[in-house]
Amino acid sequence: MQRFEGQVQLVLYPFALNPTSEVATQAAWCAGEQGKDKFWEFHHMLYRRQEFWHRLAAPLERLSEFAKDLNLDATALKSCVESGRMQDRMKADKAYGQQLQVSSTPTMFINDYRIVGTQSEGDLVRLIRQELNRAQPQGQ
Amino acid sequence: MAKKSKARAQMLSPRQQSPQKHLTPRRWRLKLVIGGAVLAIVLGVGGLVRFLQQRDLVSGLQETGEKRYTLGTAGAAVVIKEFSDYT
Repeated sequence: MQRFEGQVQLVLYPFALNPTSEVATQAAWCAGEQGKDKFWEFHHMLYRRQEFWHRLAAPLERLSEFAKDLNLDATALKSCVESGRMQDRMKADKAYGQQLQVSSTPTMFINDYRIVGTQSEGDLVRLIRQELNRAQPQGQ
Repeated sequence: MAKKSKARAQMLSPRQQSPQKHLTPRRWRLKLVIGGAVLAIVLGVGGLVRFLQQRDLVSGLQETGEKRYTLGTAGAAVVIKEFSDYT
């Protein structure tokens, strides 16, 4: 993202494929209620510590512990998830993904170009450059 | 007797051996026309479905990133939409 500053925007759609991931997604959004940066910190933490929670059937306790490490209000985060108020948002994102025929993750759209599966950084950079050239032809 | 028949059969010209052969090219032509038509229909329907899917996709992708978590510049030339699962 830093490499293409001002030229690229990333929009994240957490696409929960199982109940454990649904809890994590809601927890991330609840973290975001405590600050936009907190969402991203929690988002990165979910991947960084994935092995410690992704096999748990009920990961909320563990995720609340992680929240404390990020100086989040863990009690507020937990009650936010338990209230279920992020569920509509999660369902809306899932419906949007289905509308775009997303059936597996990760799936990315670089403008209208669909990419399914994990890609190397080099491939992503190449595709972004390609789209930038298409959007801003040289000499214009 | 059998030997004679065999020898005679070998002496016959290909046209005499199988008079049905006259029909074969026509039959093949008909098969080709039908096959071609079926292929054209399949390709046409496939292309139409693909076109409609792409049109829906492009219109679906017009949705902005409002109320989403985003990084980078709003209104940038390249918008990356990432669908990912945490597990």
